[in-house]
Amino acid sequence: MKLEMFHLMPYRELPEDFAEKYRSVWVDIPSHLFDPVRAHEMYNDTLDELELGATVGYDGVCVNEHHGNGYGMMPSPNIMAASVARRVREAAIIVLGNSIALYNPPVRVAEEFAMLDVISGGRLIAGFPVGSSQDVNFAYGMNPATFRDRYYEAERLILEAWTNPEVFAFDGKYNQIRYVNIWPRPIQQPHPPIWIPGGGSIETWGWCLEKSYLYAYLSYSGFKRGKLVMDGFWKKADEMGVERNPYHAGFLQLVAVGESESEVEERFGPHGEYFYNKMLHVYSGFQDAPGYRTIDTLKMGLLGQTTRFGDRPPFLTWKDLCANGNIVAGTPSQVVEQLEYVIKDLHIGHLMVLNQFGSIPHDLATDNITLMGEKVLPKLKQIWDGQWEDKWWIKPLATRRQVSPLRPSAPTAPRTPAGVR
Amino acid sequence: MRKQQVAVRGGVFDVEVWDAGEGDPVLYLHGEGRPTWTEYHGALAEKSHLIAPLHPGYGGSTGTEQLQDLPDLIYYYLDFLDQLGLRDLPLIGHGLGGMIAAELAAVQPERFTKLILISPMGLWIQDDPVEDFFAVPPARLAELLYHDLDSAPARAAAEVPTEGDALIEYHVERAKSMATAAKYLWPIPNRGLAKRTHRIAAPTLVVWGASDRIASPAYAEAFRERINGSHVEIVERAGHLPHEEQPDRLAELTLSFLAGADR
Repeated sequence: MKLEMFHLMPYRELPEDFAEKYRSVWVDIPSHLFDPVRAHEMYNDTLDELELGATVGYDGVCVNEHHGNGYGMMPSPNIMAASVARRVREAAIIVLGNSIALYNPPVRVAEEFAMLDVISGGRLIAGFPVGSSQDVNFAYGMNPATFRDRYYEAERLILEAWTNPEVFAFDGKYNQIRYVNIWPRPIQQPHPPIWIPGGGSIETWGWCLEKSYLYAYLSYSGFKRGKLVMDGFWKKADEMGVERNPYHAGFLQLVAVGESESEVEERFGPHGEYFYNKMLHVYSGFQDAPGYRTIDTLKMGLLGQTTRFGDRPPFLTWKDLCANGNIVAGTPSQVVEQLEYVIKDLHIGHLMVLNQFGSIPHDLATDNITLMGEKVLPKLKQIWDGQWEDKWWIKPLATRRQVSPLRPSAPTAPRTPAGVR
Repeated sequence: MRKQQVAVRGGVFDVEVWDAGEGDPVLYLHGEGRPTWTEYHGALAEKSHLIAPLHPGYGGSTGTEQLQDLPDLIYYYLDFLDQLGLRDLPLIGHGLGGMIAAELAAVQPERFTKLILISPMGLWIQDDPVEDFFAVPPARLAELLYHDLDSAPARAAAEVPTEGDALIEYHVERAKSMATAAKYLWPIPNRGLAKRTHRIAAPTLVVWGASDRIASPAYAEAFRERINGSHVEIVERAGHLPHEEQPDRLAELTLSFLAGADR
């Protein structure tokens, strides 16, 4: 079993009346709400937390891409991945990922991922999301009628750029390049593992199974709703005659752990409520551009169950969120028990964990990550041992160049205490 | 009104064509929303042979996947016109269909005797942007489309199923038609028409609903400025769909303009 720490890089200080005053945290969230000086703290806290996650025993650290988004401030996840690639020494660097159809040309993705793979000594996992409609269609203007076609073309181009040892010409519908020739090339051969983060579009299931790409169901709706999607994935696998190797699939789960239930609720409650009630306040008009979902997905009628921003009560309390499975919370033994259930029930070999979510401050995130590492991860890692092989994992160089000490040692600047402007 | 399927480009496109009436042909190209046959169309069919194809992607018209962008669509329509032997005829278009009509009239100016553009898309005024109707939740769209929210067409449009198969069917139909519209109008309904409008030679009437909240009547003036010899008629008590809200007035304007001198 692999456990990876995911970070969304949220803006932790949206105004109290955000959801009443503004229509969306995504696409048209007012830029004036962003304080770059506060964000300096937040970005560096996030990088520290990712690095800590790798230190306490997570198998990998995950970053992802969003645009114009108050809860996900990584327009370029590659910058975050590059920032941690040197201090994270052993864990996988999981970029989930680059919305490959947005890059013009997509060769850029082949190049940057190759750079990350080379810098990290073969520890990159390359995520190729189609991208959320809010990001690709609304924030980046990509045409919803053609972007899925563009996505498949981009995947073909990147794969060929990684695997064709010769300079080649690419004559696509959306990309015409006379000289495709990336420099550098990835360490992992024939290419880094490819993970496909999905939001519940059914064609993604068949595609991942056919291509043998990992399917990562990323939603904030928790394991109870996630079960519907993962059951669909495994059913599709049966239909296609693909074995039910749990490592073929991953799932995202929010987790809060502490010494007692009441302590967890007291410390994490307001931050979980901040995430679900304020950060997931997304204007419904930005949910699905026409054409974003394929006809097949619409006909499955899964939208009501799988879209992240469907009908929901006006306010979700911490107790609601725990009861619905949106958040797994409790003492280490309670969390171990619940996560073991999730892992087996969804039949997944990769669990991506959000230990920082919403407005969780750095010290609390640090406690959460540390306790996860001490008391939860060791109890889960042996699941699936001896039963299945993870064919979707990194193949790092055995001997890797480590970070050299700076000479002479540079003085370190004093850290601004949290909360001080 | 008759509905039939017409094969275009050797069957690559199977096109649903609505037509009614007899006499000289008039071509009508529908807008970005769900195609409708209204009293307006009936009134035109009393005086001529009105031919109203559905764009590929709408209703029973197939082949949208063959069309990547606006030039593909224009060449498709040239094939369609050739297939039906249509030339020397008036051309009417609404919304997206108005944009296509203007493009066709610019590409083959000699082919069309008259051009009528009803709330056409195709231009962009930075200070008076076209509403981002793609981002308007379906239940709220009626508020933007109609002058009178209590009118029968407005009330019908505001009825969106909320659950079950009806909701799925609604989403499927919307996905098909609006995704097709998006191909030519997303994210900004400007594909460079302003660079080609000078080629339009047909006498042109631009019609706009006074209460159009999708694209304001300022766009009527923008079209008039760019098309030689064109003139504008503003229809009172009508929004973006004057053929639904004021069919009689629109028919009167159309028939009177068609009866006037050709170029």
